[in-house]
Amino acid sequence: MLETLGFFAIAWTDPWLIFLTASGTFAGIYVGAIPGLSVTMATSILISFTFKWDVNEALALISGVFFGGVYGGSRTAILLNIPGAPSAIATAIEGYPLAKRGEAGEAIGLTTVMSVFGGFVGILALALFAPIISSFALMFQSRDYMLLGVIGIFLVGTLSGESFAKGAFAGALGVLIGMVGLDPMTAEGRFTFGSINLMGGIPYVAAMIGFFGVAEALVQLHTLHTPAIKQKIDRIIPKFSDVKKYFWLALRASGIGTIIGALPGTGGDIAALLAYDDAKRSTKNPERPFGTGNREGLVAPEAANNAAVGGAHIPMLTLGIPGDAVTAVIIGALFIHGLKPGPLLLVETPHLFWFIVGSLTLANVFLLIFGLTGIRMFTKIVECPKAVLIPLIIVLSSVGTYAIQNNPVDVYWMLLFGVIGYFMKTYGFQVGPVILGVILGPMMDSNYRRTMIRARQDIGDFLWSFVSNPISLILTTGLLLMLLSQTPLWPFLRRLLSNKKD
Amino acid sequence: MTPDPVHRRPGELLFALLLLVFSVAAFWQSYGISGFSGKTTPGVFPMLASGVMVISGLVILVSATRKPPRPDDAPGFFADVLPLNYIVLIGLVFGYVVLMPLVGFVVSSALFLFCAFQFLWRKNPLVVLMLTALTLAVIYLVFREVFQVVLPQGTLLREYF
Repeated sequence: MLETLGFFAIAWTDPWLIFLTASGTFAGIYVGAIPGLSVTMATSILISFTFKWDVNEALALISGVFFGGVYGGSRTAILLNIPGAPSAIATAIEGYPLAKRGEAGEAIGLTTVMSVFGGFVGILALALFAPIISSFALMFQSRDYMLLGVIGIFLVGTLSGESFAKGAFAGALGVLIGMVGLDPMTAEGRFTFGSINLMGGIPYVAAMIGFFGVAEALVQLHTLHTPAIKQKIDRIIPKFSDVKKYFWLALRASGIGTIIGALPGTGGDIAALLAYDDAKRSTKNPERPFGTGNREGLVAPEAANNAAVGGAHIPMLTLGIPGDAVTAVIIGALFIHGLKPGPLLLVETPHLFWFIVGSLTLANVFLLIFGLTGIRMFTKIVECPKAVLIPLIIVLSSVGTYAIQNNPVDVYWMLLFGVIGYFMKTYGFQVGPVILGVILGPMMDSNYRRTMIRARQDIGDFLWSFVSNPISLILTTGLLLMLLSQTPLWPFLRRLLSNKKD
Repeated sequence: MTPDPVHRRPGELLFALLLLVFSVAAFWQSYGISGFSGKTTPGVFPMLASGVMVISGLVILVSATRKPPRPDDAPGFFADVLPLNYIVLIGLVFGYVVLMPLVGFVVSSALFLFCAFQFLWRKNPLVVLMLTALTLAVIYLVFREVFQVVLPQGTLLREYF
């Protein structure tokens, strides 16, 4: 216990780490707020710059950016009706009407307090449940990891994007990208075409920066000349009675956020929408109708998307399976630092786990400070024209990609993925599943082969192992239910059955 | 889930077709790794992945053909998906990443930032020049000093830096 506290306190006692967390949170708020910059973009560029640092320093900075960024999206949603991040879409629905009534300051204050509250609930869940899940995860077999990987990719694919087919395609494309290079088990080349550059595989950071940085910058080019709207800011610190009034709602929303965040593949954006929906259904006599500046509708999604940050860390740190796109990027950072997130992380490197919990907590404290100050200055910076922003993103993406291996080929990859990503986004594909596929693909491949070897290459034994163990059975059922509910398979089967009856 | 738009976007059919062709080629390549020689060979998982791509690619293509095209007066491919400023910007970025290993970070970024700012922002060239110098200085200081990133120096101009 004392040891745990000691690890936790590392983030709080070293002035340099405190500074990094603070500047990460500060920068994250702006990154999240400026439409066109996203948390995923920032973290993927950041890990390329910080990979030579000490792990703790890199993690302190990234934790700050993650928390700040998830929160920051709400500010532009309230002030400009532009959600700075997808997780702030619901916030914009209620926040902008509030701003138009001249209550922008109060709305920002309330969202800040509730975001921080949600953040703490998520962190608490991480600290309490991760050790339990981690000891439970030691019982997981290779097939369970394979199932979790498939579930994660499909969840991201189905819940975002236009159709299941597009999500499945994006996920499989990511897995394929992850396969390129020498096979880790037999050292045979896969898709190398005899090129030495391809033998080492496609660098996943280049793919991340391409898909999240350059592709997003290109999409933003469509809205180059959207004018900014100015708002009046007055009272910022929320009334205590308001905080008390929405406490239970925020707690429930945080619970939803934590759980959704902890599911592999689903993150803050889905958590926020579900919590908004829940608030809409559970609020009996709203002061104002939803959609016209209702405070319940503002509190719930903001508490939920920040709670999802802690939640998303749970599967990443205990199972090695990222909970959403940002944690997929962070897991890439942990790989670069030579760490193996998974059930053994808590056993072998407890200091790392508690350090992450500590710096997330610290980032949340800074969020409260920065969230309630500097809003007037903030409105100035957010008005930064996109014509300046887009070339900057491209320069940062290029330098970031180059910095990983000092290899110009990586930068070409980044540009290629950027252009492909732009077209995919244009035609309704999501790029999140691609990155999840790149990260999880090799893990799924080796776990599949281990399971198959254990089943002595017998298909019957192989399939039987998926239902003969309670953990595997639960996961298999979950996957099948998801496939049935999300694909046209179920109506198809029903038609088939009813035809037979006729 | 974002709703699927009613009309087919310009170029959507071609993109779906390209994806399918790519998936089939990927499957062919995966088959080439170790064929159907065993259940735990390195080629199995790539075949599974590209197989999923082929199937979902087919579904995407079929659903794209079923959608009615946009009305004739709607913007076409080059107006909606790939307007001129995209082609120019992508060209600039391409030139930038090709030049960077040759002339180094500072020179290539200065050229790229100036051209891109000027092209997208269309302000007085002097203002743009100042903005370029300022942003480049900030980027250079932050990444060289704070992040201690090794910035490409360029093979052509190495003697001068």
